[in-house]
Amino acid sequence: MKAVCGIFAAIIPLLVSSCATRPPEHPVVLTGNIMVDGPTAIEHGPPRDKVLWEYRTAAAAMRQGKFDLAKRYLDDALTTLQGVYGPDPGAKKARGYFHSEAKKTFIGEPYERSMAYIYRGILYWMDGERDNARACFRSAEIEDGDAENHEYAGDWVLPDYLDGLATAKLGGDGTDALKRAQLNCKAGGLQAYDCKANVIAFLEFGPGPTKYATGEYRQELRFHVDPSPVRSAQLRVNGNEYRVSIDDDVWYQATTRGGRVMDHILGNKAIFKNATDIAGNVALIGGGAAILSGNGHDATANEVGAGLLAAGVISKIFSAATTPEADVRSWDNLPRYLGLATFTLPVGRHVITCEFRDNRGQVVPALTKTITVEVPQDAKDKVIFISDQALTPQTI
Amino acid sequence: MKSLLKPIFGAATVSVAAGMLCGCASSGVRNPSGVAVTQMRPDEQGFVAGTGVESQDLVAVTDKMWKSMLTVPQIANAQGAPRIVLDPVENATRFPINKDIFLSRIRAELNSKARGKVIFLDRERMATLEHERQMKLAGQVTASADPNVVEFKGADFFLTGKLSGLTTRTGAGTSDYILYTFRLTDARSSDIVWEDSAEIKKQGLEDAAYR
Repeated sequence: MKAVCGIFAAIIPLLVSSCATRPPEHPVVLTGNIMVDGPTAIEHGPPRDKVLWEYRTAAAAMRQGKFDLAKRYLDDALTTLQGVYGPDPGAKKARGYFHSEAKKTFIGEPYERSMAYIYRGILYWMDGERDNARACFRSAEIEDGDAENHEYAGDWVLPDYLDGLATAKLGGDGTDALKRAQLNCKAGGLQAYDCKANVIAFLEFGPGPTKYATGEYRQELRFHVDPSPVRSAQLRVNGNEYRVSIDDDVWYQATTRGGRVMDHILGNKAIFKNATDIAGNVALIGGGAAILSGNGHDATANEVGAGLLAAGVISKIFSAATTPEADVRSWDNLPRYLGLATFTLPVGRHVITCEFRDNRGQVVPALTKTITVEVPQDAKDKVIFISDQALTPQTI
Repeated sequence: MKSLLKPIFGAATVSVAAGMLCGCASSGVRNPSGVAVTQMRPDEQGFVAGTGVESQDLVAVTDKMWKSMLTVPQIANAQGAPRIVLDPVENATRFPINKDIFLSRIRAELNSKARGKVIFLDRERMATLEHERQMKLAGQVTASADPNVVEFKGADFFLTGKLSGLTTRTGAGTSDYILYTFRLTDARSSDIVWEDSAEIKKQGLEDAAYR
């Protein structure tokens, strides 16, 4: 028995002390205002969550017309995303039995990575850099390129459509990209390119997908989406109405990626957790039974029982320390739907009104946006970003 | 008795040791002493790498281009230094980049290492230059020559380029091939008098935790 006590006495301090050098967590007090919480979390929060907060803050900044801020955060996030190849200590930990998946540096699931590229592409286009915008739209498709079911690989519509439009406006042939977009467009009716259109309006609306976990140990990643109060949108300017095509559903993209390699790892962790738990139970019961069978007078039975109890406790400790929980950190202010409208306006100032409509086609007045735009004399496109969550009125 | 206990305690000890190693081995501070700033040559691959355009690619490509450009007869045997205007590079890859950096380095290398062989016209500063000329014409500033005479030079050649890419992404990783092409076009005849290319292919695979 002394030996058993000795083992326990050695285990506990070692288990505790061996983790004493763990980096300190950085508690961030959240206010609920993303434009306050985002910069605070980026600056003072855990480094592994930095990209997550950069994504969130960039999306919020775009809705407030703070495009320079959005660029800064997206550029930093995409730099991390583009350098993710090879060994990564955080990711290695996440694969270990005793660290949760959320220990890894967040770069997001493919739909989140694609959205980061789509937003950055819009911002490049706003700056007149069509080729860099196109590069972003291409990367958005590539991020979606390894879906488990190839039918869903690289099946975003808007990035392909804009890839082709940028190519056409740069004097190239964008028909291949247009064909891909038309093939993947469930709603159909994608406009043929009008290279003379000098206004490009990107629209987003509805609450996007978030993540949650299911399974005995919360090891299975799932996606949730709330019903969107908005189902369509229309633009009005100078007495003309312009249809907005709804090209992409972000929730669809989130749910069609299929199984991840990490899901297998989490599954194995769950099996290990379960097996060590069962083994611990068996050893504890066996050890107790052995001690009871000798009525406490059989020294051999006592020592065998004590040994089994020790092994059972150790097995239970391993089970308890195993963390198969899926990483449910989400870019939680993404939109559900992405849309586009292109049209021509004369040079000068115009007021554009955007009306969002519910599933019965009724205007949702509280969400109506007014944007004053200045169409430039040069050949640059006037790019407008409109969200149902955007501040209104805006002048861009 | 002892023979019974030995394997049990042995197994327990091994389990404990394994547990401590697996469970906490990687939970310490990474690089607790920090990492000193590492100065690297721009033409070497650093320990931070992606599959996109990086400094070593820029150096390799632009070095090849300016050296190759000097061998073209229209420049090597020109009577007087030809005047070149830079025309923006087109980025047709999937990587958003500051593409002007390619032409900037080619220009800087040619200006510093092949001084006098070619002359670049500073079209980026035309608004400033025109404003200066107007001030000279208005007598607001002094002029060392007659400001009424237009001395802004026209281009003999345009130097431009294009970055094209091919990407494959599967469960086995991501592969990016980039073709860098640069060309010199005769401003008078539209003849392409020189063109050269460089190609770089990179592959990478992220940790399974990201797949």
